[in-house]
Amino acid sequence: MILTENLAKCFGGNTAVSDLNLDIPAGEFFCFLGPNGAGKTTTIKMLTGLLRPTRGRAVVGGFDIQKNPVEAKKLIGYVPDNPFLYEKLTGREFMRFVAGLYQMSGDHFEEHCERLLGLFEIDRVGDQLVEDYSHGMRQKLSFASCFLHRPRIVVVDEPWVGLDPKNIRFVKDFLRQQTQEGTTIFMSTHTLSIAEEVADRIGIIHRGKLLHIGTVPEIKALAEHPGSLEDVFLQLTQGDEPL
Amino acid sequence: MSQLLAILQAKLRMSCHTVASVRTESKLKIGFISLAALILWIGAFVVFMESFHWLLRFGSDFGGAARGIGNIIMTRLLGVFALTVFFMLIFSNVLVSFSTIYRSREVTYLIQAPMSFQTFFVARFAECVTFSSWALAYLGSPLLFAYGITNRAPWGFYVAPVAFFIPFVTLPAVFGATITLVLARIFPRLRLRLMVLLAVLAVLSVFFFGREYFSAARFADDTILPALLDVSIQTQSPYLPSYWATRGILAAATGDYAESAFNWMLLTANALMALWVVSMLARWLFYPGWSSLAGSDRNRVKPLGKGILGRVDRLLKVLPNPTRALVIKDIKLFWRDPTQWSQFVIFFGIMAIYIANLRNTSRYYEQEFWRSWIASLNIGACTLILATLTSRFVFPLISLEGRRFWILGLAPLTLRHLVLQKFFLSIATTSLFTVGIAILSAVMLKLDPIYFALSVYSVLITNFGLAGLAVGLGALYPSFQQDNPARIVSGMGGTLNLILSIAYITFIVGAQAFALQWRVLNLFASDQAFYTALATVVVFITMLSAFCVVVPLRLGLKNLQDMEL
Repeated sequence: MILTENLAKCFGGNTAVSDLNLDIPAGEFFCFLGPNGAGKTTTIKMLTGLLRPTRGRAVVGGFDIQKNPVEAKKLIGYVPDNPFLYEKLTGREFMRFVAGLYQMSGDHFEEHCERLLGLFEIDRVGDQLVEDYSHGMRQKLSFASCFLHRPRIVVVDEPWVGLDPKNIRFVKDFLRQQTQEGTTIFMSTHTLSIAEEVADRIGIIHRGKLLHIGTVPEIKALAEHPGSLEDVFLQLTQGDEPL
Repeated sequence: MSQLLAILQAKLRMSCHTVASVRTESKLKIGFISLAALILWIGAFVVFMESFHWLLRFGSDFGGAARGIGNIIMTRLLGVFALTVFFMLIFSNVLVSFSTIYRSREVTYLIQAPMSFQTFFVARFAECVTFSSWALAYLGSPLLFAYGITNRAPWGFYVAPVAFFIPFVTLPAVFGATITLVLARIFPRLRLRLMVLLAVLAVLSVFFFGREYFSAARFADDTILPALLDVSIQTQSPYLPSYWATRGILAAATGDYAESAFNWMLLTANALMALWVVSMLARWLFYPGWSSLAGSDRNRVKPLGKGILGRVDRLLKVLPNPTRALVIKDIKLFWRDPTQWSQFVIFFGIMAIYIANLRNTSRYYEQEFWRSWIASLNIGACTLILATLTSRFVFPLISLEGRRFWILGLAPLTLRHLVLQKFFLSIATTSLFTVGIAILSAVMLKLDPIYFALSVYSVLITNFGLAGLAVGLGALYPSFQQDNPARIVSGMGGTLNLILSIAYITFIVGAQAFALQWRVLNLFASDQAFYTALATVVVFITMLSAFCVVVPLRLGLKNLQDMEL
């Protein structure tokens, strides 16, 4: 579902991502880990078409994101770490706006909108302006709007910011359930314990290069001594300064 | 539902919610701003009515030609107005489209949606047009109303401007957006040195064009009427969209609706064609430009204490902290925001054109009547430039602290300290330019010592008054959610600040002009009476300035202290 071939991004003289090769099949929960400045967000931006790669290509759902951006984006749902929401719209109006962007039919929208608002427990504030929402409520609205058009690929950038433990559990289970229904999840996170719990495979990026990719046991096996994913992560990325 | 429609509907909803949220604002504040806007509109209407009547009387002085000459001048002046507005809209659209199409946070959100760059562009373009041209509707309507009433125009005339408005504002917006799209595509790939060279060349070209085109020498002779007609003939070219608009609207004033409809169709067809062309252009240019901007070298190293800002930092060591830290932070943020200082450079251009043209007015210096008028008008020009500077750059200073306000809130400094720092920073920077220009213009105009002293003092004291208004109202009506200074300025508080600044200047200039003209007309009983009147004027403008400093600063400070930040 997600394929990158020698994907690279340079900012002037700086290489943020270098020759990234990924092949993530449908229904996989893929966690992308790396220290600050490793190139995770740059990769996400290239996958979602927000940045043009310097070299290589990203193919999403069979469509090259640069050559067929509209077709590719129809398949993607994106939840950024700090979501942009229109402050002067209500939650329901924002959902309707998103439905318009994704050209959903009225019936389809009504059905999914209420279900998602209810699922994320923001239906009771659905008619309030977004500017009155707490950070957690905004994050939940961002999730609800992301899943409105039933994306086949969901890219999530550090989704736990602002969520309470109950909602973290809910989002974790919800995402896991989505993968069982065939949705591919590409998640960037620093919360290693959650990654360890939910990921089918993990990729570790450091200084723009993909260091390792594999299942959780495979990654853990890389450690000199048995330990948690956190121990392995720190061992693999220690020493060098971030970009 | 079409994607474009979805975006426009969402924008309409947001506007409705914004208007509805006015109910929760202070009634006094809303009432005051509405009243001020109404007074400004009525004031403009009265001035235009009087001017048009004067032109008709002036025309009738030519005997047989009766109203003819007056009408020709009116038509030409409307042509000049339309062409000037057209160019101003192009310029404002360049600035607005850059922040709307490339820099807004909303852009990132919309780009990841499955829509073509063409649709994206048209949606953002609609916002640019609305944002850059609403003021034209407000300030242009009293002009056209006054024209219609003076010329006893039929009802169709009042409908015409409404019909012409959208196609007329669309064309300059298209030109502005095209310039932005091309610049955003080219500039990130240029080396800094070449960029600076091109910017300097552009500023110089505008300066020399402005000096030549607006040269006072063309008007400063006894044949001012032929000179005016000669210059304004250039606005009557059938290739200018502003000409189609004025011709169409004025045709409606004479009941010639066929001519009016023809010009409307001509303007609309061109606007639609231009919009289609620029949207196609956006399809090719937007994404590479956006990507270049997003992918420019992020490794911008600014070693502490090096470069010009490092020198400024050392220079400001005389200031105690935290004032020094706040001042340096404000200067650095301003310097590193190209949209801020590029506009500042344009003000320099305007000042330079003004100074360059002063020498052409020398033939009037022999007459006392003109000398006193020129002295008053010079103060008006200098303070208007100053008001523009404070409204555009000083008013947003508090709002720009925005979401970072908590840093200042937690720091061991009082809000009073913060407000006063902005106030004195404003005076220190603006007075450098405006007192300088006041001295230079007074020297070039060879003003009498008394006029000289009055000019320089007025400009100096106005620095305090306008800074007080801008900082005080900036604190009274902050817009912490907004990061774009141009948008902060165009809000309710910014508009109120501009209106009050102009009203303040009008009092300052009016008081002096009154005293000076009274003397020219020999209406003072003695020199002693004149000097007494002059001293009264000085006391009046000093007290008025003190009021403009103390009251807004106190109100603004109280508002910040009452806010839960």
